[in-house]
Amino acid sequence: MSKTDTQLTLKKRKQNPDDGELDITPMIDITFLLLAFFVVVSKMDPQQAVDLPRATFGVSVQDKDAVVVIVGKAEEGSEDQIFLGRSKDPSIAVTGTDPDTIEEEVATYIQGELSANPEKDAVMIKAEGNVKVGLVETVRKGIAQAELSESRKLYAGIKEEQQ
Amino acid sequence: MTDEPENPDNEPRQGSDENRFDLSVPTGKFADDDDGSRPDVEKSKKVEAAENLASAESYKSMGWKGIDEQDDDEEEPPVSFGKKEKIPEDELDMTPMVDVTFLLLIFFMVTASFTLQKSMPQPPASSDEASMNVQEEEDAKDYVEVIIDQNNTYYVTSRGEEEREAPSETEMRTLVKDAVDTFNPERMVITVHVDATYARYITACDAGQSNNLTIEAKTTDIEF
Repeated sequence: MSKTDTQLTLKKRKQNPDDGELDITPMIDITFLLLAFFVVVSKMDPQQAVDLPRATFGVSVQDKDAVVVIVGKAEEGSEDQIFLGRSKDPSIAVTGTDPDTIEEEVATYIQGELSANPEKDAVMIKAEGNVKVGLVETVRKGIAQAELSESRKLYAGIKEEQQ
Repeated sequence: MTDEPENPDNEPRQGSDENRFDLSVPTGKFADDDDGSRPDVEKSKKVEAAENLASAESYKSMGWKGIDEQDDDEEEPPVSFGKKEKIPEDELDMTPMVDVTFLLLIFFMVTASFTLQKSMPQPPASSDEASMNVQEEEDAKDYVEVIIDQNNTYYVTSRGEEEREAPSETEMRTLVKDAVDTFNPERMVITVHVDATYARYITACDAGQSNNLTIEAKTTDIEF
């Protein structure tokens, strides 16, 4: 018994140095798999240009499951505007100036988005921290006009920050 | 082994028998291929080596180890060295690729968190009728009221107590926390002037959310 044991260990010791290095192929495989996953999941877009207000309490909402309305300045020094989409593209900015027209435009956009993408279950307002509450309230009233079912929730986009 | 011409006649018969007996298969050729004088020297060496090997084996079989193992280890390096020289030619060195891959992986892992938008649940968008309902419920008094005026100042009122001014966000949070600890309300009613800053309103919502209060919000254009 003891004789065979010593011989076995001797053989292993002899073989390992011959192998040279550890086989890293499975590790590389998994790493590439993870890399591909994160490349697909993450998307590079310039929407972070919105200066969201800070808050300590935030729930995570899948960005793609929400209809997004942005309230903010297109560029430094300009007027606050409402953008019906995920970017501050001037072509999707609300053209109306009085609250009733804005409400109507927002309502039409939300209605269209929700009926075109029934899987979206949330409406998110991404308003910059320094806009007036009145403007955001106008958007909310517009959304209220379009809201179809109770299951669709309203969210305000924030930037999470520890106290 | 040697390139010398075959000379079977010169092959020494003497001693070859025991050589054959000792060296068995691998050394069998020596007897046929080699000529007279040199093989004797080589063979005698081989015989010695074989005897040494045999004796070493016998030591091992006796369970004695020590010098033999050390000898084995010392003999290894030249063998593995020859093999190691060949490996880099056969296989690509993948270390830099793995480095870059990990770097990319970490980068995408960090940026991927952006797709999950942190957000604050909002009460259903209010119409005028909704705010009427809120005013009717005010009698219940089981709520904290936070008012944000046109100058972005907070006023916190809880259960009919006097309105308390909170100049800073931290003070507002403290007042709300105190009210929650004292009266254990369930709701927070935020009344905000239309000219107030949105970030202040979100902070008030945040104070309510972190105390597990149900948020109700209404806007007003009446100056306080």
